[in-house]
Amino acid sequence: MIIELGHYALVLALATALIQAMLPIVGARRGDRALMELASSAALVCALLVAFSFAVLTFAYVTSDFSVRNVWENSHSLKPLIYKISGVWGNHEGSMLLWLLILVFFSALVAVFGRNLPETLKATVLAVQAWIAAAFALFVLLTSNPFARLIPAPGEGKDLNPVLQDVGLAIHPPLLYLGYVGFSVCFSFAIAALIEGRIDAAWARWVRPWTLAAWTFLTAGIAMGSYWAYYELGWGGWWFWDPVENASFMPWLAGTALLHSALVMEKREALKIWTVLLAIMTFSLSLLGTFLVRSGVLTSVHAFATDPTRGIFILAILVLFIGGAFSLFAFRASRLKSGGLFAPISREGALVLNNLILTTATATVLTGTLYPLVLEALTGDKISVGAPFFNMTFGLLMLPLLFAVPFGPLLAWKRGDLTGVAQRLFVAAAVGILAGAAYYYAMNGGPVLALFGIALGAYLIVGALTDLILRSGIGKVAANVAWKRLSGLPRSAFGTALAHAGLGVTLIGIVAVTAFETETVVEMKPGMMVDAGGYALRFDGMRQGRGPNYTEETGHFTVSRGGVVVTEIWSSKRLYTARRMPTTEAGIRTFGLSQLYVSLGDPMTGGGIVVRIWWKPLILCIWGGALIMMAGGIVSLSDRRLRVGAPARARRAPRIALGAAE
Amino acid sequence: MLFWILVAIVTAAVAVVLVLPLMRATAPLSSPHSHDIEVYRDQLEEVTRDQKSGLITSENAELARAEIARRLLAASAADAPTQESGPKRLHSNRLAHLFVLLCLPAVGLCLYLVTGSPGVPAQPLAARLANPGDDINILIARAENHLAVNPDDGKGWDLLAPIYMRSSRVDDAVAAYDHAIRLLGPTPARLGGYAEALIVQSGGLVTADAQEALKKSLALDPNDPRSEFYLALGLKQEGKQQDALAAFRKLAGNSPVDAPWLPLVNQHIAELSAGQAPAGNTMPANPTSEDMAAAAQMDAGDRQAMIRSMVDSLASKLKENPANFEGWMRLIRSHVVLDQRDKARDALQQGLKAFPATGEQGRQLLALGRELQIDAGGEEK
Repeated sequence: MIIELGHYALVLALATALIQAMLPIVGARRGDRALMELASSAALVCALLVAFSFAVLTFAYVTSDFSVRNVWENSHSLKPLIYKISGVWGNHEGSMLLWLLILVFFSALVAVFGRNLPETLKATVLAVQAWIAAAFALFVLLTSNPFARLIPAPGEGKDLNPVLQDVGLAIHPPLLYLGYVGFSVCFSFAIAALIEGRIDAAWARWVRPWTLAAWTFLTAGIAMGSYWAYYELGWGGWWFWDPVENASFMPWLAGTALLHSALVMEKREALKIWTVLLAIMTFSLSLLGTFLVRSGVLTSVHAFATDPTRGIFILAILVLFIGGAFSLFAFRASRLKSGGLFAPISREGALVLNNLILTTATATVLTGTLYPLVLEALTGDKISVGAPFFNMTFGLLMLPLLFAVPFGPLLAWKRGDLTGVAQRLFVAAAVGILAGAAYYYAMNGGPVLALFGIALGAYLIVGALTDLILRSGIGKVAANVAWKRLSGLPRSAFGTALAHAGLGVTLIGIVAVTAFETETVVEMKPGMMVDAGGYALRFDGMRQGRGPNYTEETGHFTVSRGGVVVTEIWSSKRLYTARRMPTTEAGIRTFGLSQLYVSLGDPMTGGGIVVRIWWKPLILCIWGGALIMMAGGIVSLSDRRLRVGAPARARRAPRIALGAAE
Repeated sequence: MLFWILVAIVTAAVAVVLVLPLMRATAPLSSPHSHDIEVYRDQLEEVTRDQKSGLITSENAELARAEIARRLLAASAADAPTQESGPKRLHSNRLAHLFVLLCLPAVGLCLYLVTGSPGVPAQPLAARLANPGDDINILIARAENHLAVNPDDGKGWDLLAPIYMRSSRVDDAVAAYDHAIRLLGPTPARLGGYAEALIVQSGGLVTADAQEALKKSLALDPNDPRSEFYLALGLKQEGKQQDALAAFRKLAGNSPVDAPWLPLVNQHIAELSAGQAPAGNTMPANPTSEDMAAAAQMDAGDRQAMIRSMVDSLASKLKENPANFEGWMRLIRSHVVLDQRDKARDALQQGLKAFPATGEQGRQLLALGRELQIDAGGEEK
């Protein structure tokens, strides 16, 4: 009975969302406060109902209730508890329910914390959220119902795709969805602004933290997904320009642009219309990502099941919301007042440059992702657009952006002094070049381009710190004064510095791995030695093992350096019995920021086995940098001060003689 | 009943929560600009705070204040009291009441009755294992758990194999019979069951493996009617009409007069002696579905529907995952055996989509089509 109650709660949530989608809008048009207040109650009720429904599905998974078809298809009674729980969203139906849950959860947050929002704005925003929620609830109920029953109930489940039986599944999708769906709030605010025909002062105060939160989650989600693919798939790669990866990367790029333009808007009331457009674009790309991944247009580990009706349904949602939003923008954007003015060389100008490059980069990735699909649909030719295309286009676009990043925070609002800033970044550039040269010599040669990449990364990190150093006056005033100033800086300044430095760290990781990684593929017999990254690996032999729902063969390797045994590595291949599906569990050892990565291939006749060994220098920088960016987002989010972008804001202005005087 | 009471309670509770704000008397709506004014005032205070704590110089603070003050003035100028329309609102609220009260049960119940399964209880595995009753799936699961730990328990496999057959898990049945024969030795019952599972697995064709098992079974018990029947059927499928006729006649002669399979055996005899079987040397003969039904009578249960459902399930599996060459070969053969030549042609065409005729496997598909005399449509060139 509990299962059916969960199902009914979901249906009731849809009915509530329909009410929430209609009445508050009417109220906002008529100035009827009662109807507008209904939006908050409805948002809370809807969140409770979906949460209950989700809890019931989780209960069905935990108790292995195979009378629920979804549980039977994706669970197994012998699975460890954590994978039973994470298996709830390790499939199409459950993941869409999670999507819906996060959406209504965000609506509820707007309802609870939006007390200081103008009533009409709040009601409209909640109504737009409810449109999305109703569309997706209908999608879940009609095409992907996780509560469909199976009578008589089978005695055992079909088990979860073994690749997904990993802690990664417990973390990656929820984080990614928090990011994707977080942008829905920005979207709703943008639509509400277009419907109302005006942007309130409170609008930007609300949109920026939401963007920041969604961006932070998306950053974490993408980084987690990349690391998961790296250690689980056994190919040793961390980014493939795979359409599914691009689907999450595009909202991130657009979201990064949105984040920066929302910043300008909050502090300076400029770039209003552009921010609205970016908010629509970002969530549209999130929806597009959901469509690409969920419709079965792309086949990958993410496309759990392909069903044309689902694809058509999501396509309809896509057309409705994206098309509707852009039409609304076309008709109403002219009614919005554009904001303040600024000189081309100014903090605003730098952020516009950032926006231009990021949106162009997004368009590039979008082209590379959709072109093969469109071509196949039109002509039937199958082509794949791979790393070379993206490296050439996206990579080249990123170069000027990365070079410009440290300039942004150092420029003054409204009008800035480019030469002055360039002079102050001289140290950062010098350190960067030194670091590049040092790394180059340490690695005894290597591609010359790597030198440039490492230099750029170090320049980004030092450039980010330069802002903090200049603001606090370290080296110019007494240490205690500098410390006082440093600790008195707004947290958002630290957030900016962290995020920009994180970008530099990631860049260093990417360049180092791309330029200096070594890959060795050998057939090994017990006792054989192989060198990788200055370490010697001895293959000691294989061992049979058995887990709760799999059997495995594990190879043992002893790692030594200069004849001294340093550590050991276990690398295994598993066979999951229910699905008869093999997986590799790569053996990974970390040395500082670098890693040895050992993956087992097929056994050969004569007792040997194919072994792939990679040496990945500084690879942890890639995800470490993402973590630092994420930390920057959180630090900045914790800064609850009002943001006023005073023209030439901080205390550095008189001392460093910026062109701040009006 | 309890379920519907709970449904009613939940629906009513949601309705009450949604209707409550509509009943409350509300304060007049504040002007949108009043919020802007509030934000600008907060910003002014913030600038003063920043100036006091030394985060911003007094010169910059003045600049910022001037800018905010300009916005504040603009907002104040635009701020005009909004018009209230009292009586109209009361009316619209009554409509809104009605909408809420109708929408919840109407949408909720309609959609739930379409998509839900009211009255089906939750069935946690632990509870089912503790009290299996006649839950066949649980009995199987228990036996499987037991056999996963004791894979050499031949008796277990022997018991499980026919249960697998009954629950349409033919692949598992083949494996289980195989284990049982390996561990406990061959008997006519096990060999016959094994052969039958193989025949169902191949969609009704008496394969070479099945024939071998049947012959072994007959060696143990020359009078086993099931083995005789399937061997005769195999002969018929191979086009050896005379041999098949002789075999069926022998079976009919050995059977008791009231044997339930006799009518079908006689039908085969009639068909074969009348030469009704279609021409073509290696062509499988007429519908074997009836044959399978006859075989079913020799054992227990009705197997015809089962075979068709096996074929259907194979077809739907291939639809989901077309990259299964063996599957296509088997499906095409099965359709021909079931005399569904249209479906066989469709299957061939779909198979050719997954494995284009230019490839080795595509050519094998085409060869099979020619062998079974199915036209692959325009793609055969």
